[in-house]
Amino acid sequence: MQNRALIRLFVLLALALMLTTGCAKKTAVDDAASSQTGVTETVVDDATEAASSFEEQAVTDSTASATLTAAEAEVLVRKLMRVYFDYDQYVLTESAKETLYANAQIMKAAPALQVIVEGHCDERGSDEYNLALGERRALATKNHLVSLGVSADQLGTLSYGEEVPLVLGRSEDAWAKNRRAEFTLQR
Amino acid sequence: MTIVRLVLIALICGVLLVSQAAAVKIEITAPGEQSIPLALTSFLPLNQENTEIAAEIDAVLQADLQLSGLFSFVDRAAFLSDASMLGLSSVKVDFAQWKLLGAEAVIKGGYRLDGDRLVVEARLYDVVSRRMLTGRRYIGKPTEVRRIAHTFADQVLKSLTGKKGPFSSRIAYISNRTGKKELYLMDADGHGPTRLTDHRTIVLNPDFSPVSKELIFTSYKKGNPDLYRKEIYTGREARLSHRSGLNIGGRYSPDGREVALTLSRDKNSEIYLIGTDGTIHKRLTTHWGIDVDPSWSPAGDRIAFVSDRRGNPHIYIVDIESLEISRLTFDGKYNATPAWSPDGKRIAFSRLEDKQFDIFTIRPDGTDERRLTFGPGIKEHPRWSPDGRFLVYSLDLDGEKAICLMRADGTGQVRISPPGGDDSHPVWSGQW
Repeated sequence: MQNRALIRLFVLLALALMLTTGCAKKTAVDDAASSQTGVTETVVDDATEAASSFEEQAVTDSTASATLTAAEAEVLVRKLMRVYFDYDQYVLTESAKETLYANAQIMKAAPALQVIVEGHCDERGSDEYNLALGERRALATKNHLVSLGVSADQLGTLSYGEEVPLVLGRSEDAWAKNRRAEFTLQR
Repeated sequence: MTIVRLVLIALICGVLLVSQAAAVKIEITAPGEQSIPLALTSFLPLNQENTEIAAEIDAVLQADLQLSGLFSFVDRAAFLSDASMLGLSSVKVDFAQWKLLGAEAVIKGGYRLDGDRLVVEARLYDVVSRRMLTGRRYIGKPTEVRRIAHTFADQVLKSLTGKKGPFSSRIAYISNRTGKKELYLMDADGHGPTRLTDHRTIVLNPDFSPVSKELIFTSYKKGNPDLYRKEIYTGREARLSHRSGLNIGGRYSPDGREVALTLSRDKNSEIYLIGTDGTIHKRLTTHWGIDVDPSWSPAGDRIAFVSDRRGNPHIYIVDIESLEISRLTFDGKYNATPAWSPDGKRIAFSRLEDKQFDIFTIRPDGTDERRLTFGPGIKEHPRWSPDGRFLVYSLDLDGEKAICLMRADGTGQVRISPPGGDDSHPVWSGQW
C-alpha cells in the first residue's frame, strides 16, 4: 500500500514538473492558440497526455469552471514563471514581457486564480530602498499583466525587498536571479 | 527581564562639585585628541572577598572607559601600595603615589555582598587637586553588577566632561538567530541579548520611543509589511499602521508624539507623519520617485530622507512646516540610511563607494563631509548613542553580519554582537 502511494506521489510530482517545464516551450503554441479563443487547452493536453488521467481532469476542470480547488490553484500558480530585472530597475525587459505574455494566457484562462505578485531585490543597497524598489517591480509586473487582459482583481502585490533571496551568494549571477517578481497564491 | 532597580545615592560631593579646580576637566568634542592618564584600581571587598564581582566591575569599567577614548590607562603592574587600600574618601588616598605614576585621575571602590543585596561604593579622584570628583553608592542585586558598573562609567564621563556616558543604555537590533528575523535587545556593550518578538516571519528596522520603554518596527506577521509597536517590559504589542502596501522605516519624533514612516498606499512610497494612534497627520513628500528612510532633526522641525527623484538615491531634507525640500548629498551614486545626531550638528549616512557601503557624516547644510569607515566589509545603518559620542552600525564581513560601535570620529571600532547569527539594523535607546 505504501509503495503504491509513493508511486502515485512520484507520478504527481513528475507531472507537476513537466507542467512547469513544459510551459516555457509552449509559448509559441499559446501565441497561435490564444489568437483564436484564449483557451490554453493545447498546452495542458500536451503535458497531461504523458501522465495519468487524474491530472487531466484537474486541469480541464480548472480551465472550464469558475472555481478552483487548492490543488488546482497550486498547479496553475507553479506554471506562472518568474520575471527578472536589471540592477536598480523596475522596467520590464523584453524577455520579461515574453514571460508575462505566457503567464497572462494562463491567468486569463483561469479567472478564479488569484495570485500575489511578489517583488524582490538583490542584497545590494539599502533595505528600505529595496522594499520600495521591490514594490515597484511587483506593480510593474501586475500592470503589464493587466494591460494584457488579466483582471486586476486576480493580482495582489507584495514587496519583500532584499529579505527573501532566491539564491544565496555574492556574484552577478546570484544577484541577477534575486532581482525578480514571482507569483504565489493569494491566501 | 526585570526592570533594574538601582538606588543611587549621591555622596558628599556638594562642596566638591562647586570646585572649578579640577585639573582633568576636558572638552568632550574631541575624543581621542587628549587623553587623561587614569589609574583604574580593582574594587576591594568591604566584607568577604568575591572575585567574580570584582572582576566583573573591573572588566566593565575598563571596557567602557577604553571605548570612550578619553583615557590612557596607567599600567597596573606599576601600582604601589595605595592600590590595595580601600580609600573611599580623599583623605584616605595617598595621592603622592598616584602622582608618581603619572596618573591624573584614580578610580577606587569597594563592594559588599549581603545575601541577595549587592552594595558597590565607587569613587573618582582628581590626583592634581587631591579631591573626589564623584562618589556613588549603588545598591542592587548581584545580577545587576554589570549595570552598576556601566552606570558608574556614565557618571565618570559626566563628572569629567559634563555629559553623561551612554553605557547604561540599550541597543535594539534585528537578528536571525532563530532562523527568522526577530527583534532583539542588548546592553550597549553587547551583553545580555534578549529576543523580544516571536513573529516567525520577517521583522525589520526598529526604533525606540524617546518617552517610554517601547519600540516600533515593521513585521510581515500578518502578510503585509505593517508597522508595529511593542512595550518592552509588558510585551504588549499592537499594529500601528497596516495600510495597503509598505508601512516601513518608522521613526518617533523627538517628543514621541508622532511617527515618520514610509507608506505606499498610493502605489508609490512617500514619507508621512502619523500619530501614535495610527492616524495620518501629514504627508511630507509628493513625488513619483522612491522616498524612504526618514530621520528626524532633534528639534523636530525637519526630516532627512532618501530619494531617487534625481536619479540615484541621495539624501534630502524636508521642512515639516513648509514642506520645502533641499538636497543634502551630491557625491556618490548611492546614499542611504541618514541618522541625525542628537545635538543636530551632523547627519550620519552610508554611501556606496568602491562597491561597498561605508559610513560618512555631513553637516545638515551640506558642508564638511567626512568618511568614518574604511577597510573591508559593508557598513550600514549608522545610529547615534544618546550622548552623540558613538555610532552603532551593521558590519557585513564576508556575509557574516554583526553590530559594531565606533566613536563619532570613526575611531575605536569594535564588534559588540556575539557570533552565531546575522545581526543588523541596530538602534541605540535614549538614556535608559
